[in-house]
Amino acid sequence: MTPRLHDYVLSASCYKVRLMAALVGVRLDLVAVDFHPGREHKGPAFRALNPAGTLPVLETGELVLTESTAMLVWLAQGHPGWTGDGSRSAAAQVQQWLAFSARLAASLGMARLHDMLHFPADIDGCRLAGIDCLREVEAHLFEARLAGRLFLTGDRPTIADIACFPNVALAPDGGVGLEPYPGIRLWMRAIRSLPGFIEMPGIHRLHELRPAPERGAA
Amino acid sequence: MKTGGRVTNWVANGLSRDVVAGVVVPGRWQGVDLAIWRSATGVLRAWKDRCPHRGMRLSHGFVRGEGLSCIYHGWTYGTDGRCRSIPAHPDLVPPAAIRAEALDCAEADGVIWVAGAGEAGPLPAVTGLVPLRSLALHALPGQIAAALPGLRLFPGGLRGVVVLGGIQTSLCLLLQELARGQTMIHALCGPQDDPVAVSRGLEDLRRSIEQGVAA
Amino acid sequence: MIPQAVQDCWYPLAMAALTGPYPGRATQLLGQPIRVFRDAAGTIRVQGDAGADLPVILRFGHVWACPGTPQRDLFTIPEADHPGRRLVDCGVVRVKCSPLRAVENFLDIAHFPFVHTDILGAEPHTEVGRYEVHIREDTDEVWATKVRFHQPQAAMSAEGGIETEYMYRVPAPTAAVLYKTCPARPGDWDVIGIFVQPLTEELCDVWPWMALYDDVTPQAALIQFQQMIFLQDRSILENQIPRLLPLDPGMEIPTQADLTSVAYRRWLKRKGLTYGAQMVAA
Ligand code: FES
Ligand SMILES: [Fe+2]
Repeated sequence: MTPRLHDYVLSASCYKVRLMAALVGVRLDLVAVDFHPGREHKGPAFRALNPAGTLPVLETGELVLTESTAMLVWLAQGHPGWTGDGSRSAAAQVQQWLAFSARLAASLGMARLHDMLHFPADIDGCRLAGIDCLREVEAHLFEARLAGRLFLTGDRPTIADIACFPNVALAPDGGVGLEPYPGIRLWMRAIRSLPGFIEMPGIHRLHELRPAPERGAA
Repeated sequence: MKTGGRVTNWVANGLSRDVVAGVVVPGRWQGVDLAIWRSATGVLRAWKDRCPHRGMRLSHGFVRGEGLSCIYHGWTYGTDGRCRSIPAHPDLVPPAAIRAEALDCAEADGVIWVAGAGEAGPLPAVTGLVPLRSLALHALPGQIAAALPGLRLFPGGLRGVVVLGGIQTSLCLLLQELARGQTMIHALCGPQDDPVAVSRGLEDLRRSIEQGVAA
Repeated sequence: MIPQAVQDCWYPLAMAALTGPYPGRATQLLGQPIRVFRDAAGTIRVQGDAGADLPVILRFGHVWACPGTPQRDLFTIPEADHPGRRLVDCGVVRVKCSPLRAVENFLDIAHFPFVHTDILGAEPHTEVGRYEVHIREDTDEVWATKVRFHQPQAAMSAEGGIETEYMYRVPAPTAAVLYKTCPARPGDWDVIGIFVQPLTEELCDVWPWMALYDDVTPQAALIQFQQMIFLQDRSILENQIPRLLPLDPGMEIPTQADLTSVAYRRWLKRKGLTYGAQMVAA
């Protein structure tokens, strides 16, 4: 069956999964969930699918997955490179960043939900924790670049990059500016330039990838 | 920045290698937000971060060839600052009066410098060092200088030889004041220094300066 | 000092269906704390800080209140009562911008290809043709009509896109309504509104709302579509300088495509509706 994603268009975690699917060319059957304002994900019908009442949920036909990082692993299967180069160290590093992406969601992601959709949160604490995360990513990308690597775990993107990209790129939605991070900017640009990349609200199209239309062509 | 009795308008706004051809990035000079961009052929420009049409930040825009376009309605400005196309009116030649507001910018030794239009003095010299990385601190330039008595002030920032992470390093910190009490440090180090060690040393330095500021 | 004309307007504060018992929704209006709740009798009430009740109207699924003395009824949208239309409340989104900038953006089409790329517009079809703008004398509303714009894939089957026609209406300083040709029912209009709650001059809560002819699309998908569009605008709105809407004509450069914006700004200025506006160049 076509894998079915229970989806909310403004969710950074749902976007991870849509983005990964687009990059590896997997078609998803999207089911819109009224996360806001309806809080459908907290209702009994949705909880029957995912007792945690969280989004996204991916039904693969054989599995019901409720963690976005697990969905990335599932989607990347059969697409060599996206889970690392097969080495022990790459596999471990990918796991490291998948776990790190949970910190991004709890800090920058929560700040965003607070600023945008009125979620209750310790907003100063979320932003400070988010800045700590961004500094770690920036420092890591600096060292990676010295070694000639553009992405988090190597010279090509993996699910680690896709897991971390959304909440980093959407940090300004939660009042955390990305101005001070030149390394993160170049990394985001590399991800946004990947063939098959799709955007979400808050991350606009890289219009520069297409030439300007000829004047009068319209 | 006033340093050692001499006045220079030049403020470091980043390292050349972080602003590759075809990108636009945010900058800041004396409280003014900037859009700094490099054309496809490498021409570097620093403009006020405000599209004359409806005030959108140009640093959110996109570079195509030799022009910077605004993300809101796609108005495109050439390297001379003049608006050269308005997509809503494809056949219109935009009036010459529509232009982005430019500041002076220059590059030397791998550093991007910005100054008020037409009022810049000579560029601060940082020859003999190599660009390392830029990082922001929640501290003001004066607090950073006070925390580093081993470095001396020069036009553009601080420099000298310090022990960083247990290693003796020739360090130059170009200081750029950002909004909300933050300062960007554009760091350069000696060509023989280990960049990873210096970078990690700078992270330590940031932690201790920020703790000092918070205390 | 907030002008009396501003105080005497109606403002949206909540979705009626989601308004619960005291303490209800604690929010802000024109910089003042305010509370929306359902009392023991089930009546929705709006109270200011001192506990005094404000005049309330329930309309378009939302709770509206007036902090001053209402000079007229809240506007109506006759289409909302047409049988067969689905009314969709799309929730609320907070934006760090002037409430007037949020309305002005909603009236703008020239940004479609760059901000709502491949949904509401796409290069090279960026041209905005002539359209008509006027102030309706009877209702004192800003209207833009005969607005046409190329829309890529307005329907799944529409290869190469179609030309969509729009009408825009500003019935209140912080509300705007758009009428858009309805692919499912040629000759009819889909109606989409944004109701903007001014928390302060530089912060607002935006309540998108729709009245559509569509029996097919699930409610959640309709809401998500509208939220997707509006959130694409949010990153623009939070990055315009200055935050306040300039009413001094020298500060920004309008073209013919901006006629609605020009009329809206003049209308605000004439009526003294300057909350969220900047009068002189800073
Ligand atoms: S604001 Fe820049 S093109 Fe309209
Ligand atoms: Fe829009």
